[in-house]
Amino acid sequence: MWRTFAYFISLLIFLNCSLIQVKAQDTIPIPLKIKVGMEVSGLSLYYTDKNIFKSEGYISVDLNEKRSFVLAAGYLDYKYSQYNYSYLNNGFFVRTGIDFNLIKPDKALGKYYAGIGLSYGLSRFSSEVPIFLKTNYWGTTSSSISRKTDWGHYLEASPGVRAEIFNHLSIGWSISLRMLLYTSTGNDLRPIYFPGFGDGTKKFTAGLSYFIAWNIPYKKINVVLKKEVKVDTDDNGDTDNKDTKGAAGTSGTGQQGSVIRQ
Amino acid sequence: MRKFIRGSLLIILPGTILFLLSCTQGSCFEETESYLKASFYKNSILTAPDSLTLYGLNTDSTIYNKTASIQPALIPLNASTESCVFVIQINGVVDTIEFQYSSYPHLISKECGYTFYHHLDTVPKYTQHVIDTIYVSNKTITNLNVENLRIFY
Repeated sequence: MWRTFAYFISLLIFLNCSLIQVKAQDTIPIPLKIKVGMEVSGLSLYYTDKNIFKSEGYISVDLNEKRSFVLAAGYLDYKYSQYNYSYLNNGFFVRTGIDFNLIKPDKALGKYYAGIGLSYGLSRFSSEVPIFLKTNYWGTTSSSISRKTDWGHYLEASPGVRAEIFNHLSIGWSISLRMLLYTSTGNDLRPIYFPGFGDGTKKFTAGLSYFIAWNIPYKKINVVLKKEVKVDTDDNGDTDNKDTKGAAGTSGTGQQGSVIRQ
Repeated sequence: MRKFIRGSLLIILPGTILFLLSCTQGSCFEETESYLKASFYKNSILTAPDSLTLYGLNTDSTIYNKTASIQPALIPLNASTESCVFVIQINGVVDTIEFQYSSYPHLISKECGYTFYHHLDTVPKYTQHVIDTIYVSNKTITNLNVENLRIFY
């Protein structure tokens, strides 16, 4: 009985020491953050073109070292006119999805992001054509289309980068590739431009966004860096497993992360 | 990687602003008129008239004036009214055709703007001096190249 008890205690001590060793050597602390930011290019461009006012803000919550939940919302006021018509559109949009950071945790350190975001967007807007002119054999017909409120649904993929340049402050850009799912406008009166999506006459649109965000750390996790296992095949067809890294826990290439939460 | 991220952050914003400022308004290359397209059949065979004259009743200008080899004829409707009467002269013989329709706006593109599409509400009324029958093949009149009428003469 005593011998079994002594053996069990020894085993616990051994396992505990092993775990402490793993934590000490193979993990890296990564801060999870809540980021509150805004898109700045829309406001910048408003100074050059008073016909498009776009504003967008977002909140992003790190779920782990690779994924963040994103909720964005924005407002658009759009005016356009040319020789034969004028067009007005204003409204709001919300977008929600996940950002996937493709940088390895030991390099990202919770400060750097290079990855892709996938999200769904919903837009609610009112559009109006105050005047349009049509000239043909019978002369010029002047008409208008009264204000109507519609919905738009779209998907967005946004590869991009972000970096924390000062303490708690990060900036970044992303390319937005959007696919229109549906608008309630019907086929005849497709929106020329609507919030969140852009040119509603096209199935696909692209844009560039530039972000500035304030980062608020809310939790720290330890990410275990796994050693990369290289599989060599010799001439005889035998395989050997070899560690490519020397000491465990050093940062560098060939390490992958898993998480220990505190 | 970090240098790439930092470098790209400094380059992309000014680049984007310069790119957007350099954008110019596009041109319209699409068909903007919604013509009623009428094909001509002689003895049930697709045959263009040797001479075609077409104009709107009580108008000064002609759409076709003794023109040969018109196939199909492109007939403009008046979006301000709900009916149009045309005088049509096929190989020197005169008839009239009246169309009754409804019109509604349609966006062609941002560059081209809006046009009117039409919907034929009834079968056209026509005299039968040279025209035998008129068959409506498509009631919706758009800017696409789709036949709407067949005129048998």
